[in-house]
Amino acid sequence: MTDDKDVLRDVWFGRIPTCFTLYQDEITEREAEPYYLLLPRVSYLTLVTDKVKKHFQKVMRQEDISEIWFEHEGTPLKWHYPIGLLFDLLASSSALPWNITVHFKGFPEKDLLHCPSKDTIEAHFMSCVKEADALKHKSQVINEMQKKDHKQLWMGLHNDRFDQFWAINRKLMEYPAEESGFRYIPFRIYQTTTERPFIQKLFRPVATDGQLHTLGDLLKEVCPSAIAPEDGERKNQVMIHGIEPMLETPLQWLSEHLSYPDNFLHISIIPQPTD
Amino acid sequence: MEEDEFLGEKTFQHYCAEFIKHSQQIGDGWEWRTSKEALELPLDDSEVTEATAATEVIKYEYHVLYSCSYQVPVLYFRASFLDGRPFSLKDIWEGVHECYKTRLQQGPWDTITQQEHPILGQPFFVLHPCKTNEFMTPVLKNSRKINRNVNYITSWLSIVGPVVGLNLPLSYARAASQNE
Repeated sequence: MTDDKDVLRDVWFGRIPTCFTLYQDEITEREAEPYYLLLPRVSYLTLVTDKVKKHFQKVMRQEDISEIWFEHEGTPLKWHYPIGLLFDLLASSSALPWNITVHFKGFPEKDLLHCPSKDTIEAHFMSCVKEADALKHKSQVINEMQKKDHKQLWMGLHNDRFDQFWAINRKLMEYPAEESGFRYIPFRIYQTTTERPFIQKLFRPVATDGQLHTLGDLLKEVCPSAIAPEDGERKNQVMIHGIEPMLETPLQWLSEHLSYPDNFLHISIIPQPTD
Repeated sequence: MEEDEFLGEKTFQHYCAEFIKHSQQIGDGWEWRTSKEALELPLDDSEVTEATAATEVIKYEYHVLYSCSYQVPVLYFRASFLDGRPFSLKDIWEGVHECYKTRLQQGPWDTITQQEHPILGQPFFVLHPCKTNEFMTPVLKNSRKINRNVNYITSWLSIVGPVVGLNLPLSYARAASQNE
């Protein structure tokens, strides 16, 4: 269906207008101007901010520069979470552009993973892809692929090449003809109000009676507070890629069309905006 | 091709309970925590302190978690100096014995990486779990052949632990074979 393919493109090309400002306590030789950038929702901060780094390093001395890290309103931003997830979870109810503060000192060891090179991002990304396939296909599809196919997934993401990426990723979205979907759906549910970073459990896309499970079924089972109360005004929004899919949407469809490039559905539960 | 030995979550809990029983007997400090408890209580006890040659005291923390994606246990660990300075990946590597290094460097999925602890949300180091079945299957099949009781957790931890400085006392093995 052409409509469904369009969804894949819309997800891939989603962007968030962002304003990067240097932390005021960083030592600079001249005033640092803010830097504006459209961030790809499906990528990772440390993968797409080389220009940001260069821009601020131009006004700093080498000895004042350590590992870069980002923060929004005091919260260190986890580079290993996709950008779109971070935005939906932390800033979707604020006005655009997304304001991110850039730091070059005082790396928060207790909060953030280190990201010494692009290889680290690749390893993390591939690790997620592999885990997703363990859930979907008992790792059969990913393990049957050659190293060059794995590389193509990464290069597709790295170079923002939709066709290059999906040439391989489509194989990860297939399932045996005799089945109605994947073995289990790769998903993670995030809420800022809980201590636990995310909820991840085993959940099948199809019920024993053959009915397709919906997004609502998933939430009822693993995170009922997300859709409470059932009657009356809901307290929370359920957001993926900046939109609120209908709770009646089949989970299998969501997994095939609204997953991030790592093949996971990253779902944000956020309080209803009060405007 | 042998059928892989997957570890169900209930079985994982059972083996952990047996493991903890023995740990309590010998007093080496392992504790069972639910995710709720893990977030509420400070972690003081799942630690091992070790003096290095340079008389620097290092604090190691080991957590055994269950991966429902791979259906195997996963070892999360971190280390710090007593003043709170955390170990870097480089520091961790320096602590890995030579005999394990070549094997670990062979592939990105056989190695130690920094990951977010799925319950605490803090950076820990992890041995990637996707190859666990590869080395556990022969261990379990063999024990069955010689009719010997095996605690999956004990066997698994005795294989992966030493790579990252965790050595189980031998009494765990004796305890496992005595359980019916």
